[in-house]
Amino acid sequence: MNRLLALVKREFWENKGAFRTTPLVIGGIFLAAMVMFLITFNHFDNEFQSLKELTRFIAQTDVALRDKVLYEINLSMSVIFSMVLAFVVFFYLLGSLYDDRKDRSILFWKSLPASDTLTIGSKLLSAMVVAPLIFWVVYVLTHIVIMLLFSVVIMTLGENPWTLMLSLGSPFKAWSLVLASYFAQAIWALPLYGWLILVSAFAPRIPLLFAILPPVVLGVLELWVDFLKTFTLNDNLFGLFGKWFANSPLIMSADSHGDEFGVALGAPITSDFDHQVTVANMLDRLFSSDMLINLAIAAVFLGAALWLRRRATES
Amino acid sequence: MNNVIEARGLTKRYRSTVAVDNIDLQIPAGRIVGLIGPNGAGKTSALKAILGLATYEGELTVLGKSPSRDRASLMEDVCFIADVAVLPRWIKVWQLIDLTEDIHPKFSREKCMKYLSTTKVTLDHKVKQLSKGMVAQLHLAIVMAIDVKLLVLDEPTLGLDILYRKQFYTNLLNDYFDEERTIVITTHQVEEVEHILSDLIFIKDGRIALDCSMEDVQESYAELMVAPDKAAAARQLKPLYERELFGRHIFLYENADREQLKTLGELHTPNVADLFVATMNGGAS
Repeated sequence: MNRLLALVKREFWENKGAFRTTPLVIGGIFLAAMVMFLITFNHFDNEFQSLKELTRFIAQTDVALRDKVLYEINLSMSVIFSMVLAFVVFFYLLGSLYDDRKDRSILFWKSLPASDTLTIGSKLLSAMVVAPLIFWVVYVLTHIVIMLLFSVVIMTLGENPWTLMLSLGSPFKAWSLVLASYFAQAIWALPLYGWLILVSAFAPRIPLLFAILPPVVLGVLELWVDFLKTFTLNDNLFGLFGKWFANSPLIMSADSHGDEFGVALGAPITSDFDHQVTVANMLDRLFSSDMLINLAIAAVFLGAALWLRRRATES
Repeated sequence: MNNVIEARGLTKRYRSTVAVDNIDLQIPAGRIVGLIGPNGAGKTSALKAILGLATYEGELTVLGKSPSRDRASLMEDVCFIADVAVLPRWIKVWQLIDLTEDIHPKFSREKCMKYLSTTKVTLDHKVKQLSKGMVAQLHLAIVMAIDVKLLVLDEPTLGLDILYRKQFYTNLLNDYFDEERTIVITTHQVEEVEHILSDLIFIKDGRIALDCSMEDVQESYAELMVAPDKAAAARQLKPLYERELFGRHIFLYENADREQLKTLGELHTPNVADLFVATMNGGAS
């Protein structure tokens, strides 16, 4: 256990820039954008003459509607963090078993009494737990700072920030849902993570190319075979990978649920699952037969990666 | 279990070539063994098998364990430096020490700091900021602070200048080595290690060309320097190898009658480099 933690610590140190600095920069950009908005609002030619007017107008809107809109804003603020997190994890895993082979420091790591299984476990743990957790914490902190900032502004404009916004929008629920979706997505994405680790274990060079080429070829083949079978391109453009992506339990798009419009899990173009953002819908995906196939694929990829890692110092 | 390393029929094949060809090897505890051979002779392949870094055929036990199956647990008692400068370049010295302490149960931070205090390496340095010599010093400090039974050094000083090389081996001998420990070294710079070695193993084309202790070398091998007029007589005594230096002929003999040799010229104990050249060029068994 200590060894695993030490190895995870190692991953964090090596990827501090990606894991810690990146979300902080996003948070900083958010804050900067807010401040810029507050400063320049009065200069826009819009229907409200001043921020004060805008605040008063908002204060007079229906509470239930305000609650709903704030809740959706809270959730949608996570999207930019989630997207960048996906990129960070993608490239982190792509280099996970590749970088130390390239600079030969694998010879040092292999001289420590830590097994290859533990090493791969530490990489997976960093991608599934450590990175999402850090991004989530920064997302929450950014949110809190923005709320404080707006509270001060609202107070100086003579309104009550508590009744105007702080008591609305269920921030805790939004944060919890985002965190839950990060972990659900980490599990849902296991075949991709396994594939990236496998590529990083075997790619002699340019792992990105090796990671992207096979799925693209497979996707095109699938498309072609479907076309041959049906002679239409009707909803076949949407292959295996597209379906997997669209069913992700991660907040990344918007959709109308009944008569309400709001953020959605995955892309609401499949009807396999409900895309509304609830924990039940996330669990629905994780306990589906699709997930079972995902896990089996991930296990094969990870097993192969382990086999390769054992032989990485062969020549 | 007296032998730290025991191999029987150890073989390593790469697709078409045989890098290690059916080697038998016994290395007891408390020795400093020089594993010496030309490039591509199979030294590194043999070491990789011993360290669990590569697959192999044949029987091999290191400290009673199978390297291919138990690499991780074996590394609690075995340490190695494979080549200079394989420390991760992004890491800071304090992080490296922290990690080693967390992962290695036999690492002593105090010892490591003591060794480091004699160098210019500081805790806040990143490895990539260090010179090649300093990286080697850092790696050696870490390795010497780990209380293991077997230390394997594969070309640990390649590309370092002579000051670092000398100091490297001095530290190793004075501060680290004792009767319980075994050190296996491969290097091209034979002259620099020969005075610290207790045993010699020559490898040629994947086979062991010579395996003996340094005392055996002194006992069995003799180098004779003769004037040109006695060369023919000396040649009749079946030397292993002959070379010429400043007009004099130098012959190397194995198990020859020393009294008889003395009548022909000057007798010396051959140095390891000469013995190596003779073994590689001649047909010594």
